[in-house]
Amino acid sequence: MQKPIREAWNSAYTKANEEYLRRRTITIDPITRLEGHGKIEIFLDDRGEVERAYFQVPELRGFETFCIGRPAEDMPQITSRICGVCPTAHHMAATKALDDLYQVQPPPTALKIRDLVYNAFMLEDHALHVYILGGPDFIVGPDAPKELRNVVGVIQKVGVDVGKRVIAMRRRLREMISYFGGKVIHPVFGLPGGVSKGLAPADLPGIKQLAHDAVDFARFTLQVFKDVVLKNDRYLTLITSDTYTHRTYYMGLVNGRNQPDFYAGKIRVVGPTGAEYANFPTQHYLAYISERVEPWSYVKFCYLKPLGWKGFVDGPESSVYAVAPLARLNVAESMATPEAQKAYEEYIAALGGKPVHYTLANHWARVIEMLQAAERMRELANDPGLTGTEIRTIPTATPKAGVGVVEAPRGTLIHHYETDERGLIRKANLIVATQGNSARMAMGVEKSAKGLIHQGKVDDGLLNMIEMAFRAYDPCHGCATHSLPGQMPLIVSIRDASGRVVQELRR
Amino acid sequence: MNPPPHRILVLGLGNDILADDAVGLVAARSLRRHYPDEIEVVEAAESGLALLDFLEGRSHALLLDAILTGRHPAGTVLEFSRGDFDTALGTSSHYAGIPEVLGLAECLGVPVPTELCILAMEVEDLYCLREGLSVSVERALPDYVGRARQILDGWCRSPVGSGA
Repeated sequence: MQKPIREAWNSAYTKANEEYLRRRTITIDPITRLEGHGKIEIFLDDRGEVERAYFQVPELRGFETFCIGRPAEDMPQITSRICGVCPTAHHMAATKALDDLYQVQPPPTALKIRDLVYNAFMLEDHALHVYILGGPDFIVGPDAPKELRNVVGVIQKVGVDVGKRVIAMRRRLREMISYFGGKVIHPVFGLPGGVSKGLAPADLPGIKQLAHDAVDFARFTLQVFKDVVLKNDRYLTLITSDTYTHRTYYMGLVNGRNQPDFYAGKIRVVGPTGAEYANFPTQHYLAYISERVEPWSYVKFCYLKPLGWKGFVDGPESSVYAVAPLARLNVAESMATPEAQKAYEEYIAALGGKPVHYTLANHWARVIEMLQAAERMRELANDPGLTGTEIRTIPTATPKAGVGVVEAPRGTLIHHYETDERGLIRKANLIVATQGNSARMAMGVEKSAKGLIHQGKVDDGLLNMIEMAFRAYDPCHGCATHSLPGQMPLIVSIRDASGRVVQELRR
Repeated sequence: MNPPPHRILVLGLGNDILADDAVGLVAARSLRRHYPDEIEVVEAAESGLALLDFLEGRSHALLLDAILTGRHPAGTVLEFSRGDFDTALGTSSHYAGIPEVLGLAECLGVPVPTELCILAMEVEDLYCLREGLSVSVERALPDYVGRARQILDGWCRSPVGSGA
């Protein structure tokens, strides 16, 4: 498209999109939009107790309008660029949506390569959260002085050698992803019906060694978690405290034996008692998932459609569900690999049986998933089919609609495209993982604010405890953020009974 | 084995389908034409720890990025150096940005640039998926690239072996 035409096109779509947003009657605090801050609004009553608390994050606009009219084959590249945090998850969900769109079954070797790459990504991303992003909460400690609650504090606690090991493993995993797909952020990897590059037999030993070392690394991480977190009774008390407990539904992909599968499978949902509520092919997601808009947030809140929206409530009356590690381990009947299974049994026993409703148990569940991802990599590396040369089935069907679903590190990720007969996008719908958790996260922030703030007293420690309620999900705020300003900005406003801001905390 | 990296790195950060977020990438492309040999220019959409992979082993690094504070007119160029981040580390770090990456590198003894400069342009729109920059940002681009060239010219004249 020529430049002036492209500009006119973009400007028209921006206007259309803004008009659409206006019709959704959302009121947005300008700070949220301008500065891209996460924002928590806490409303106190006349006694200084918390009446309501809202957690708000900015959201990208214009995705659907951007995609309309583009070739469906561009979607794995476009969607992997909308988020600098989980590009591989978007790339894979989009690739699977294209398989479905063109009704094409990739050859076994292609599926194994995708599975290998995807598990490597899961392991790398989870490691980043365990050691760097969530680490300050548990490895350093939830009530440690704030100057230690950062990545340097984590390294001081676990030691420089461990830090080096984390960095080295992360780099090797990313190198493997790049081997198959080029750049991690702009991968040229998945194609409808297969993958773009196979594994040369000469490179297999390197992959086997990496998979072997990955299992060692995951085992070691589980040990670090046990030593630092589980041997500390105070942490366990915190994990199981009522403040961080919500009895909701849970959702995740499972294989035919109801074990977690990050790359493929059916969507299984269990209820607050742990009983199976639904188990359906991914193409049926619209029959089960609906989204709700609230006037105070950009984020759409997902709930179980057949139950109807029942508000931000948990227990038997709830229609809210959660995704991500805690949810995946709740929908699973067992893990798919032996060492992860052993770790899973310990986890269930220590936390008093299934389902586990403790939000902060997400951190532990994440480590168990690292082990499954690494063991799965090892299985695939030792599968003789991995070096096969047949890596693509050429699509021949006329496209119409396609759905692709993977488990992103942050939960179930759904891509759904509709095209015309030439394969140009008519409609694109994404349900991103953080959205699946948005209702439960909002409930978590409110409950922790109510549990921790009394008589109007708020200090930095309490603020961190409230933040922990959503950080456990490893939420992805505003896919735009990369290097600056260098920290996830957050503003907490405390308002008295008249709505006046009486205190504002920024970090 | 990869060859050793150039000592001077220009790292354009951003997303070229996210409106003004592309400004760092656009500026980096323009600089690549001015310095075909003596400088390595990398365009990246990565965040957090991935930045360490780019910075490791360099003596000088210039980062180009978009910023949206709402406190300056769009097109304003803000300049930060390593020293500006020493105080930022420790305020909260559940997000790994440049200060955290540098802090981590120091902790682990990973060699990172001693000369590090970030040129961030205040922009209008970081939330709408579209191609093309806002007019205010497009207008400020020549000055932005000009400032980057001043810094790079200075670094190119500095003797090899200075810095890390």
